[in-house]
Amino acid sequence: MTRYIIRRLLQFIPVVFISTLIVYALVFAIPGDPIRALAGDRAMSEAVQESLREQYNLNDPFIVQYAKYMWGVFTALDFGTTFQGRPVLDIITQRLPVTLQLAGVTFVVQAIIGVIAGALAAINRDRFLDRLVQVSTVVVVAMPVLVIAFLLQLTFGLNLGWFPISGTGQGLRSFILPAIALGAVSMAMIARLLRSELLDALQSDYVRTATAKGLTRSRVIGRHGMRNSMIPVVTFMGADLATMMSGTILVETIFNLPGLGEQVFSSIQAQEGTVVVGIVTLFVLFFVVINLIVDIIYGLLDPRIRYE
Amino acid sequence: MRPVTKRTALAGGSLTAALVLSSCALGEPDGDGDAGTLSTYQCEPQYLTPGNSAEVCGAGVLETLFTGLTEIDYETNEAIPAVAESWESEDNVTWTFELGEDWTFHNGEELTSQHFVDTFNWTVDPDNAQNNAEYYEFFLGYDEVADEEAEELEGVRALDDHTLEIELAEPFGQLPNMLSLVGFSPLPEAAFEDMEAFEQAPIGNGRYQMDGEWVHDQEILTERYEDYPGDNPGEAERIEHMIYNDVATAYQEVQAGNLDLLYNAPPENISMLEDDFGDRQESFETGTLTFLGIPTYQEEFEDPQIRQALSMAVDREEIIDGLFEGTLTPAGSFLPPVLPEGREDACEFCEYDPDAAAELYEQAGGPDELTVYFNSGAGHDEWVEAVTNQWDQNLGIEEVNFESMEFAQYLDLLDEEDIEGPYRLGWTLSYPSAQESLEPMYSSTASRNNTGWSSEEFDELIAQANAADAEDSEEAYQEAEEVLLEELPVIPLWFESQNVVWSENIDGVEITPRGLPQLERIEVLD
Repeated sequence: MTRYIIRRLLQFIPVVFISTLIVYALVFAIPGDPIRALAGDRAMSEAVQESLREQYNLNDPFIVQYAKYMWGVFTALDFGTTFQGRPVLDIITQRLPVTLQLAGVTFVVQAIIGVIAGALAAINRDRFLDRLVQVSTVVVVAMPVLVIAFLLQLTFGLNLGWFPISGTGQGLRSFILPAIALGAVSMAMIARLLRSELLDALQSDYVRTATAKGLTRSRVIGRHGMRNSMIPVVTFMGADLATMMSGTILVETIFNLPGLGEQVFSSIQAQEGTVVVGIVTLFVLFFVVINLIVDIIYGLLDPRIRYE
Repeated sequence: MRPVTKRTALAGGSLTAALVLSSCALGEPDGDGDAGTLSTYQCEPQYLTPGNSAEVCGAGVLETLFTGLTEIDYETNEAIPAVAESWESEDNVTWTFELGEDWTFHNGEELTSQHFVDTFNWTVDPDNAQNNAEYYEFFLGYDEVADEEAEELEGVRALDDHTLEIELAEPFGQLPNMLSLVGFSPLPEAAFEDMEAFEQAPIGNGRYQMDGEWVHDQEILTERYEDYPGDNPGEAERIEHMIYNDVATAYQEVQAGNLDLLYNAPPENISMLEDDFGDRQESFETGTLTFLGIPTYQEEFEDPQIRQALSMAVDREEIIDGLFEGTLTPAGSFLPPVLPEGREDACEFCEYDPDAAAELYEQAGGPDELTVYFNSGAGHDEWVEAVTNQWDQNLGIEEVNFESMEFAQYLDLLDEEDIEGPYRLGWTLSYPSAQESLEPMYSSTASRNNTGWSSEEFDELIAQANAADAEDSEEAYQEAEEVLLEELPVIPLWFESQNVVWSENIDGVEITPRGLPQLERIEVLD
């Protein structure tokens, strides 16, 4: 097991190198001069533009820029700055907690609602509750996140006033609506996935045996049915947590949450290569670490899976 | 198992935070606890160093934190005394400013004329790469400092603690007006010691002082500076600049009463403004001109008659009614009507006259194929298409190609003079002066003149107008404008409006020609 983990950790190194190179190249490839666009319709004077280009190595060829960037990262832990001179590291440490909170709340919300809805649907197969879950999940999956977010904001924020419309001013409560918007699709996927898994499980031999032994229905479903049906659900949720980062770009912008996603969005627009690379690399790391964790949990849930 | 415990710990942590915060919220009902506080929409400033801030997000904050030598009376758009109690000049070249004696920075430091000298020298120093340096180009000695041949501006001198002399390279009657710009605000000693730290919590001499640091992308809190010696201190006790990335979100917050002011409601909400806000909304005309520039360096656009025909073939009213709910002002001039110099129908060729346009276009041999340029993702698609439809209908220009691209790339193309047809651009006034609306855009030496158009007559008339006293310059600038109205290097389309919405807590919202609210004058009701 330890050897397996070490091997996986070593694989992180090329992943990080290649992803930073690709991201840097992509930002570099965006046409146009970012410094020229900084000031909008009213351009800055040539002298100021030139000194900024010099300061951010924008006059160098791509590979030199990238090398200078990586050199700074490895020799001085210098992740660069925005065009306004703010260190990228500052931005990440300020914004990471917001994104982590959002991801955490989303994870919990989608797990609770998804699992309850899925289980209820399976238990009440073909009855009203089941139909309700089936129809509502299709609707949710079909709706763009953008629409879901605005609907939530309008209904529960503005009209009913149950939750704040935007910002992080009210602690956990501020994250509920964004979390529902961010997790809506996965929530529906979890419900549908669990429903079908649980239906399969409930028809299997070991469940019938348990029922025949005279166990109560809740115990049969809870201990025997659910446990086996959860394996694919956990895999899905792990992978989903990793991909959730890209969803934060939209949701954080709409709900005005000062997290990493919002920053990526504005930095891509401003062509701030160093910021985009810093944050996206973090997302990549997040992705590979979570995948590793999911694989490990897999082994714990199902003893038949072993790693060498 | 470790990751699982981590996750639980995380959820638990935010839960306790939520409990603490919600118990605070219980003690303070909405609104009442906030008497005297104005909360306003803000976009994230690029910089909060006055010399570097050249965009509206920074200006919105800095104008409350700093007061320059002069201010603008927005009723008349004339310069009025601020730190300078009075000023005089015989020849519009050498100016003497008498400074008030009670001015202090928020840290108690006394403000003297030497502060202005130091600040101006620091701002123009190319090593400091300040955006607003270029506004100093009228000052004597600017070129030498910019070329690193001199350390200090020759034309800026402190005659004594409260007398400042500014000598210009050429006569410029608009100087007091220009000095109201935030880029001419004085900096305290502390700023020069550590400019980076200073920018996080600027110490100014204005009506409001920082309460804490600039929380990036979240908020900038300020409170009234009680030792402000000026005649008209701020109305609200506190101004809280709340930073939003998305105006649509801020719009909802004003609707819910959580935010007091949004000075640029999103265009897609224009039709709902009245339903949503009743009489707590207004559309304010600004000095920002939207136009289609014409690359006169291309052979087919050399003839002014072609440009005149293109202009006459656009029904501005129809586009404004159809796409902007009638909120914009059709341009009948280059000088914005919000300025005293602006005349609403000075432009003969801006009046819609499809028949005359067609005849003129035919006669001048205008091209029957066009490429039109605009920057993407900024809501220009629809109206640009509407304009080209009218050209098709009225001039028979059937084949139109659209080139839309990201702003950065777009600007590169303009600079390289690689444009083959009309292009969209706008021009906002940094300070409300006729000079500012004409010279930087159309004079032959202006770096922002992308049309390739140049006219000695125009340059001469501008120089004459600049040399005149501010009171006598009105007609002189209008004369220069006449040249543009005949030649049309760009086709003026309309002057932008800003749709402002506000909450029930405040009153007295006014917008400057630049499009910013006059925050210090807004009253907070209780």
